[in-house]
Amino acid sequence: MRYKINVTQPIKFYFAFFLSLGVGVLTIMTWSFYSEGKHIQHTVENQTQQAAQKELSEAITNTVLIIQKELTDISEWDEVHQQFHDPSYYFFWHDERLIESSYYRPYYNALELYKKDRKLLTGASPGKDIILHTTMPDGLEQLQQQILVELSPTQKAQLIIYHPIYQRDAPDILGYVGVALDLKTALLTMNQFFYLDKASIDFTGNKTISIDELLPQIQYQPISNPVNTYLWALIEQFIIEMIIALAVSSLVLLFIFNQLIRSPLLVLSKSLHQLKASPQVDHLPPIQPFLIKEYEELKHAIHDYHSQLHSAQLELDQQNLLVWEQARRDALTNVYNRRAFDEAWGEIITSFKNSELPTPTAFVLFDCDFFKALNDTYGHEVGDEVIRLSASRIQSSLPIECPPYRIGGDEFAVIIQHRDMEDIRKICQHTLNELSEISFVKLGVKEKLSFSVGISSIAQEKEDSISRLPRQADIAMYKAKQTVQTKIQSYNQRLEDESSVFVSNQTINTIVNSVLTGENIQMHFQPIVSISNSSCYFEALIRIKGEDGLIYPDKIFTLVERRRLEVELDYQVIQATLKAIESGQLPDKTGLSINISGKTLIQPELVDLFEPFVKWLETYKIVIEITETILIDHMDYAQNVLNKLREKGFLIALDDFGSGYSSIRYLAHMPVDIIKFDMTMTKALNSDEKTKQIIMTTAKMVRHAGFDLVMEGVETQEMFDQAKAAGATHLQGYLLGKPNADFVSPSTKYC
Amino acid sequence: MLNLNKRIVSLSLGLGLMVLSSVMTPVFAETVTHKIEAVNLTAQAEYLKGDADKPAILIVHGFLTTNQFHTVVSMAQGFEEEGYSVLTPTLTLGINMRQQSVKCNSIHTHTLENDVLEVEGWVKWLETQGKKEIIVIGHSSGSHEILAMLQKKTTPNVKLAIFTSLFYLSGPELGTLQHEIDFAKQALADNNLKPHKYSFLFCKNDYYATPQSFLSYHKLTREYVLKEVKNLTIPHYTIMGGADKRYQSVGQNWLNELEQTGTQLIIIEGANHFFSSEHEFDLQEKLVNIVNNHQDSK
Repeated sequence: MRYKINVTQPIKFYFAFFLSLGVGVLTIMTWSFYSEGKHIQHTVENQTQQAAQKELSEAITNTVLIIQKELTDISEWDEVHQQFHDPSYYFFWHDERLIESSYYRPYYNALELYKKDRKLLTGASPGKDIILHTTMPDGLEQLQQQILVELSPTQKAQLIIYHPIYQRDAPDILGYVGVALDLKTALLTMNQFFYLDKASIDFTGNKTISIDELLPQIQYQPISNPVNTYLWALIEQFIIEMIIALAVSSLVLLFIFNQLIRSPLLVLSKSLHQLKASPQVDHLPPIQPFLIKEYEELKHAIHDYHSQLHSAQLELDQQNLLVWEQARRDALTNVYNRRAFDEAWGEIITSFKNSELPTPTAFVLFDCDFFKALNDTYGHEVGDEVIRLSASRIQSSLPIECPPYRIGGDEFAVIIQHRDMEDIRKICQHTLNELSEISFVKLGVKEKLSFSVGISSIAQEKEDSISRLPRQADIAMYKAKQTVQTKIQSYNQRLEDESSVFVSNQTINTIVNSVLTGENIQMHFQPIVSISNSSCYFEALIRIKGEDGLIYPDKIFTLVERRRLEVELDYQVIQATLKAIESGQLPDKTGLSINISGKTLIQPELVDLFEPFVKWLETYKIVIEITETILIDHMDYAQNVLNKLREKGFLIALDDFGSGYSSIRYLAHMPVDIIKFDMTMTKALNSDEKTKQIIMTTAKMVRHAGFDLVMEGVETQEMFDQAKAAGATHLQGYLLGKPNADFVSPSTKYC
Repeated sequence: MLNLNKRIVSLSLGLGLMVLSSVMTPVFAETVTHKIEAVNLTAQAEYLKGDADKPAILIVHGFLTTNQFHTVVSMAQGFEEEGYSVLTPTLTLGINMRQQSVKCNSIHTHTLENDVLEVEGWVKWLETQGKKEIIVIGHSSGSHEILAMLQKKTTPNVKLAIFTSLFYLSGPELGTLQHEIDFAKQALADNNLKPHKYSFLFCKNDYYATPQSFLSYHKLTREYVLKEVKNLTIPHYTIMGGADKRYQSVGQNWLNELEQTGTQLIIIEGANHFFSSEHEFDLQEKLVNIVNNHQDSK
C-alpha cells in the first residue's frame, strides 16, 4: 500500500523540522567530538601509563647498571684494595673515609666489604667492639642472586647489590663489595621521569625478591598530563559552551525567524484567509509593520490588490445589480418585469413549501380593461403611455413592500403577504381609486379607463398549493372584467366552475396534463416551401390527443393563456420537436420551424433549451418563430437572446408581421432572418389595389432589408401567384400542404 | 748449507731490525709490576724501554700522586725521545697496585721509609733488567724518597740524581702544627695507632693518617733536607721553577741554601712547582741536557 506524503505543511513544521535537523546534526557532531576527545584522552592516559611503566622498568635497569658501575669503581678503588691488604683501620675507613668519599652515595644505606670467603671484612678496631652490620648480612653464604630487593611495609625498600672485587695482579677474586641502598632515592636520583609521577612511587610487599620480580611490586601513577587534563577540561568547557551557544543561538534564531519570517507569514496568511472568507468586505492591511521589506511590500500589495479587486467587484456588483435591475425592469414602465416576477414568485413558493407555518400570501392581478381596443384605436405609442402612467400610479399606490410586476401587456401582478383579506381589498381599492384619478385626456384618450382586479389568497382558500394562486387570481380578474361595478373580485370555487364552462373538464385535464407531462402531445408539421429551389421545411404545430380526438390550438392556447402555462407548453413543444428530429423522420435537406411564446423567449434558460438542436443544424434548417409583439416588448433582451441563437446557427422568423404596431425603424434592428406575413396579409393581396400595393411595398421592403419572406394562408393557385409576384421567398398554406403528423412533402408541382 | 742460510737470514733480519730501531724513535711502554717484598705489596710502573747502551731513568712522582702525573709523564717523554729507558713507578703508599692519587682524607698508613724501600725495589728491578747505570729523578716529594734512598747507599748503580721542585715538608712556615706533631708522638707512644686528621702540606685538617705515617714525613725539615743533599756522593742536580709558589712559604733564600749544598742548581724561570705548560719543555730540555752531558762527560 503506498502512502502519499503530503508535502504541504505549515511553516512551523518545516522550521521545526530543519531546526531539529540542524540541532540533531550539531548534537551528533558535538557528541562525536566529545567521544573522540574522550577517546584521545583515554588513549593518551593509556599511553602515558604504558610509557610510565616502561620508564620505570628502564629506570630500574638503569639504576642497577649505575649501581653496578659504582660498585665496579669501588671495587677498583685503591682504598678498597688497601683495606683488603690491611684491614687494620677498616672501621675508620668504613665509618669516616668511606662516608666522606665520593664513592659513597647519598642513597647508600650501607656498604660493606666481604672477604673472598664471603665473610664481612671486619678488622679489629683498637678498643672498639665489633659493630654488627644490621643492614648487610654478615656473610654471603649463597650468592645466587647478586641483586636483591628487600620490601617491608615499615621500612623503605632496599636494593642490595653485591659485586666481586678482583685481584689487580691476578684474575682471582679478592673479595666482594655489597651495597644496600634506598631504592626509591636511587631511582629518583639516577633517573629522569617524564611519564611517571615520582612522588607516587611506592613499594608493596614484605619479602626479599630478585630484581626481576620488582616491577609488579611497585605502585606508581603516571604523571598527570597537564596538557591532556587541561586540554580535556578546555574541550569539555568548549563543548558545554558550544551547547549553550547552540541553545542560545537556536532560541535567538527561533525568535528572529519567528519575528522576521513566520509571524509575518502567519499574519499574511490570516489576512488572506480573511480576504478569502469575506471577499466582499474591504479589509484593512495588518497594522503591525514587518521588518523585512519584501513582506511589507507583499502585505501592501495583497491588500492593494484586494482593494482594487474589491472596488472592481463593487463596481461589477453595481454594474451587475444595474444589469440585474435592468433585466428585471420593464423597459416601458420601469416596474419589475416578468422575469423579476417569476423569480420572486418562485422564492415565495419555495419558502411557502419549506416553512412549517405558511405565510398568508395573496396574489393580485391588475388589468386594464379593453386595452387592446385602446391600442388599436389610439396607436401603440398612446397605449405605451397609458401603460406607463398606470404602472407609475399602481406602484405609488401600493405599499412599498408590495411592488407591482408587469407580466403582460396591460397586466400587473402584485404579491401581498402578511395581510388579511380586508387589508388587501383596501389596498386594491385604493389603487383603483388612484388609477381612476389619472387623466389621459392630454394623450388624446377620450374614454375613461377602468381596471379590473383579481385576488387570490392561500389563507383564504386554505389550500396547500400556492402555485395555483396566479391562475385563481386570473380567474377572479376575468370575472371582474365581466362586471362594471365590482371591479375587485376575490377567487372562489364558484368562479373556477364558471371559467371551465368554455372547456370541458376532461379536456382541461388532458391539456393541463399534456402541458405538464408531455403526454398525448402530437406534433403536426406543415411544409413551408421555397419558391426559388422548391426546398421546404416544416412548421411544428401542436395537437393534443384527447378522448374525443385531437384538441386543437384554439382550445389549447385559451386554456394555456388562462392558466399561464405558456412556458410549460413551449417546453413540451421543443422536446417533442427534438424527439421528432432524433427519430430520423425528418427528411433530409429540410428543416423545422418552432413557435415559442414571448414568456418563453425571456426565460433565462431558453438558449440551453435549444442546445440539443445544435448538432442537427448541420443537417437541418431550424427556425425559431416569435411574434412581433414579443420582440417589441422586450427589444434589448430579445436581441441578445436571438443573437445568441443565430450565432449557433438557428434562424429567427418573425411571425404575424404587421399584427402589432412595429415601427419601421425597428425593422432594421430586428435580429431575425425571416418575416412571415399572416394569412390576412396574404389575402389582402387580393383586396383593393391600395391595400394590395401597401402589402406589396411592405413585402418589397422586407426583401430589400435582406429578410426572407414567408406568406401564410396560401390556399389557391391565385394566392400562390399573387404571393410569388409580391416577392415571397417561401409560401405556406393548404395549397402546398396541410398540417400532418408525418412529414409529408409538399405537392410536387410546387417543389 | 741449509743451516748457513738460516743464519744468514737471521742475521740479516737482526741487522735490519737494528737499523730500523736506530732510525725510529722508540718506544713501547709497558706496565710492569713488581712485588716489593719489604712491604709485601705489589707495585706497578710504566717502563719505556730504550737504548740498551744508555742508562735507565727512574722517575719518582710527588706526594700522593701517581706515575700519571703530568710532570712525571712529561719528563718520561723527554727521555723517551732521546732513547733512554724510563721507569716511572707508582709508589703503593700501602695500596697494592695503586692506580689513583691518594686523597688527603684517605687513610694514610704509608711511611717515608716504606716509600724508600719501594724505590730501592725499583732500582733493583732495573738492575735485573740489565741496567748497570741508573739515573734517578724525583719530582717534589719524590726527590725526598730519592734523597733518603741515596743516604742509605744501597744502590750503587745509581749514578746521577736530579731533583726537581725540591723543598722540605715540615716547618712552621709550611703550616706544620707543633701540637699535631706532639699529638702524633703521644699517640705513637700510647700505641694509639688509629688514624687522625692532621694538617700536612696541602691537606688542611683532613690528612687522615696514622701517627707513624704522619711523623715519618715530618722529619723532612729544612735542615734535614739540606743536610741530605750535602751528603750526596754522586753528581746531582736540582732544577727549580722560578715561579714556584713554595717560595712564598720557604722564601727565596732556599735556592741559595740549596746552591750551597753543592747541587747544580738550575732555575727555569717562570716555571711553577709542576713545570706546567711550556715550561715542561724547558724541564725536558734541561733534564736531557744534564743526562746527555753526564754521558758525554764519561
